[in-house]
This record gives sequence, structure tokens and C-alpha cells, in this order.
Amino acid sequence: MVRVVRAGVVACVVVAIALGVVYLVRAVDELGDQASANATANYDDREFGGGNSLVVDKRALYEARALIPPEGRYRVVPGPNVVGATELTEPYIDQFARSFLMPRRPSPDAEWILCYGCDPAQLEVPTEVVWDGGGGISIHRTLS
Amino acid sequence: VSVRALVGLALFNLFILGVGTSVLALSLGWRSARQIVAGSGLGYMVGVALLGVALSIELVIGVPFSFATIALTGVAFVLVAAALRPRVRRWRPAPPPETGTPGAGLVAVAFGALIVVYLEALFRAGRLAGLSAWDAWAFWVPKAKAIYFFGGLDEQFFRELANPTYPPLVPTLEASAFHFMGSADVVTLHVQFWFFACGFVAAVGGLLAPRVPALLIWPFVLLMLVAPRVVGRSLDPQADFLLDYFFALAALLVALWLLEREPWLLATASIFMGAALLAKRDGQLLVACVVVAALVGSVRQWRYAWPRLALAAAVAIAMAIPWRVWFTSRDLTGELPSAGVLALLDYPDRGWPALESVLTATFDYDLWLVVVPLFAVAVVLAFLAGARVLSAYALTLYVLALAGFTWVLWSFIELEVPLTQDEGVNPIVRLSGSLVVASAAIVPLLLDAAWRHANDSSSHV
Repeated sequence: MVRVVRAGVVACVVVAIALGVVYLVRAVDELGDQASANATANYDDREFGGGNSLVVDKRALYEARALIPPEGRYRVVPGPNVVGATELTEPYIDQFARSFLMPRRPSPDAEWILCYGCDPAQLEVPTEVVWDGGGGISIHRTLS
Repeated sequence: VSVRALVGLALFNLFILGVGTSVLALSLGWRSARQIVAGSGLGYMVGVALLGVALSIELVIGVPFSFATIALTGVAFVLVAAALRPRVRRWRPAPPPETGTPGAGLVAVAFGALIVVYLEALFRAGRLAGLSAWDAWAFWVPKAKAIYFFGGLDEQFFRELANPTYPPLVPTLEASAFHFMGSADVVTLHVQFWFFACGFVAAVGGLLAPRVPALLIWPFVLLMLVAPRVVGRSLDPQADFLLDYFFALAALLVALWLLEREPWLLATASIFMGAALLAKRDGQLLVACVVVAALVGSVRQWRYAWPRLALAAAVAIAMAIPWRVWFTSRDLTGELPSAGVLALLDYPDRGWPALESVLTATFDYDLWLVVVPLFAVAVVLAFLAGARVLSAYALTLYVLALAGFTWVLWSFIELEVPLTQDEGVNPIVRLSGSLVVASAAIVPLLLDAAWRHANDSSSHV
């Protein structure tokens, strides 16, 4: 039994060392590739991260940050009219903007409206267009 | 991404290291530089857990969250540890031998070099990583940004963001990192999780090195680190891997307490259990597994062990109560699986697919290599060698965890049968990581017990 146990311990160590070293090489390789890919990405791509799969025009969100004051309130009105939208754009742009535009707060009766594929004519309140990036994406401000 | 952010993050982690190591050193009477260096990994992780728990509780009770709050909280821990120093003298363990520790030497140096190579590559990959993980950008990091920008648990964001009942420890630590970085830099934030990984490795090494030969420690730590899933996801700024580290350290400290009966081991384990409870709701399941496994492992000395285990569990639970009060008082829901705790019998057809999904993920070579199979072999070897307490504890821990994961999938009825293994839908891949990470800490202990006690069936182990 002693031999069996000790042989088992040795076998475990051998397996761990062998796989550990082989996969260390692979891991360092893979991590190096990731580092290179990250380094070649631009600042916007890194900041948007997962948002790259749903945000069509990054300028709109940057413009929203510039136009809406930090204590301001906004709402995102998504719609099907974004040129180049992915299947994630309409359902998740609101969620992404919530994080990206913080500390600005989302609010249903906000002064600022980020129209992301919506029909501006259907907005419930009169607005002025303060930025239009084309492709169905624009920023509006309600007229008081 | 800036040098300032990186420097700020380094200072934040030096602060954590200073707080945690000071608390341990003052409590345990560490005097030599060697003791402090060897214990600094554990000290760092204790600092993470203590600051995470304390800042979370402060948020819940409405203390404004700021740079000063973080700094004062850390200083308060050190002052309290200094003040309590005479009272906790009896906790102090016997000093380890000054020479000939089995975990040191050439093997440790060689594997240490390999692990440094790995960690350097991991750092480079994380330094400029985009915030791509779905849960990270959808709610973990937004919660951190809300704490950072609004100085508290903002009612609107914590209600409207996904998973509002998920505990706030990780967002709180992320918000602390933002304060030190000087901005909500979601790219550099990945490096914070690199520090957590380094701290975990150092903590496991520091705890095991005086007890276990280096050849039985570092190959298993390295194997866990290079598992494909760990390589790919350990820097995601979300709670999964930090929870795994807390769980693994709690499990290891409880195992050591079962063998050595040093009170500080159990006291430190209770800190990590409390942090696990406040890291993610899965922490409740994992902490319950640790406590029940310890009860089973100590059944022969139950009069001595069980009251102490109950106290440690109670302390951990007490840390999580304020958060529970906060979210229940606001009628936030989603804490339990959708079918409820006891609704399993309504869905008998889900039992086997759930178990199959759990085992498939846990033993998936492409995710975790052979980490868990090696754990299984180590348990058998330790049992055969007569290390009954340790093998009973470890086996119970893993079986309970697997049963618990099965219960989660069984009760998670939104996930339809046949169950997909896609981790975007099925949480099992993330859950199974806890056992993989814990194996890096537990397997060396099991194999050492097997080796040393193969000839000695009368051993106390």
C-alpha cells in the first residue's frame, strides 16, 4: 500500500509538472497575442469593450458625454432604424449607455434624448436636434 | 489608461498589503522580516477581504464613500489590531522554524520563476484589455462607477442595473481602485484583478511553504494558473475569480485548522468566508459547503470543534447581514434560483441533466485541464494513507459543492433542458471554477499527507 500511495503521489506530481509546463508555454503565447491585440486597438475600442458588439456610431455616445452635463438627465430611445445595427443594438444600447454616460442619470422625462434608431417624429415632446450623426442616430433636447 | 492610473493602482494595492499584513503581524506577533515576507501574500488577501467587507458595510449604513473613507478604514483596522494585540496573544502560533522549511529551495525558485513568467504575461494582457465581459460591463463595473460617482449605494442605479441583490464587495473594491487611479478607468481596472491573482498565489504559497514540500505545492498552483479558462477570464472585472480565491483560502485555512487547531487559522478563515458571502450570492453555497465539510471532518472531536466552527460561521454571516437588510428593505429580489429552494420535486426531469452539466463542466479538460481529476486522485491517496480527517473534509467539501451546483441548475428553470454548456447562458462554468482554484490549495496538502502518512496509519491526520 505504501508503494501504491507513493507511486500515486509521484504520478500526480509528474502529470502536474508536464501539463503545467506545456500549458505555460501555450498560456504565455496566448497572453502575448492578447496583449498585442489590445495594444493595436485604439482608445475607443478599449473603452467600449463589449459595447463594440452593439454600438454602431461611437461618436454619438462621446457627443452625449460632451453635451449632457454630468448632473444632467437623459433617456435613450432605441429603434429599428439604425444603419448597420447588430442584433444586440436595439435591446442593449440603453443598458450600455447607462454605464457609459454615468454620472448622467437616465430618466423617462429627461431633457436630453439619445435617439438610437428611433423615429424622431414619434417623440412625445417637441425637441430640437443638437447633434445628428446620420444613420438613424441623433441627440435631441426638449424644448421647454 | 495612463501611467498615473497604474501608479495609483499600485499604491492602492500597497495600501491593501500594508493594512492586511499589519493586522496579521500585530495579531500574530510576527517579529522577523522573514515572517512578514512569508505572510505578506496572506496579509494582502486578508487586506482585500477586510477592506472589502468593511467598506461594503459602511456603504450599506450610509457612510459617504470617498478616498478619505478608504484610507481611514484601513488605518482603523491597523489601530484596532494594535489595540487588541495583548488580548489576542493566545492566538499566536508557535513560530515556524528559522531554517529548513520544506517549501523553500531550488524547486520553489524554479517554479517561482515559471509563475513569474506567467504573471508577467498575464499583466501585459490585462494592462490594455477592453471591458468585454458581458456581466462586467452590464452591471459589475456600472455598480462600481455608481459608487465612485455618487459616493454610495445609489438607489436608482442599484435598483435598475441587472442583479440588484448581488452583494457589493467587488464593486466597492473597484470603486476604491477608481479613487486611487483618479478616474473610472475601466481598462486599467483589469490590472486590479491581476493583483488579486498575484495575492492569491502568494497567500497559498505562504501558507503551504512551511508545511508542504515545494515540489508538492508549485506544480499544482502552476497547473491551475495555466488552465485555459483561468488564462482567458481571470482578469475580467467581475466577482467570479475573487470569490474563488476567498473560497479557496477559507477552505485551506479550515483544513489547516482541522489539522493544527491554531485559533488564528479559523479566525482568518471566517474573514474569507465573510468576504465570500459579500462577493457573490454563490458565496453562500460555497461557505455552507466549507462549514458542513469541516463539521464532518471534525466529527470525532465535535465537542471541541463544532462550537468553534459555529462561531466562525456566525461571524461570517454577521458580516453579510447588513447587505441583506439593505436589499430586502427595498424589496429587491432575485437572491434565490427561480424555482425556489424546495421546488426541485416539481421538476424531476431536470435532475440528471443538471448533474451531467455540472460534471461535464467541472471535468472539462479544455477549460480546467486535469485539476479536479488530480484532486480526486489525491483524496483517494490521502485516504489510503490514513489521513482520514483531511480526506473526509476535502471529499465532503467537493461532493457538497457539486451537489450544490446541481441544485442551482436544477432550480434555474429559465435554463431549458437539454442544458447548454454555453457560459453566456449556463452559470455552471463559473461555478465550477471555485473547485478548480481551491484544488491548487488543497491538493498539495492531500498529497503531502498521503506521502508522509503512508507508513504511519496511526497518524493523527
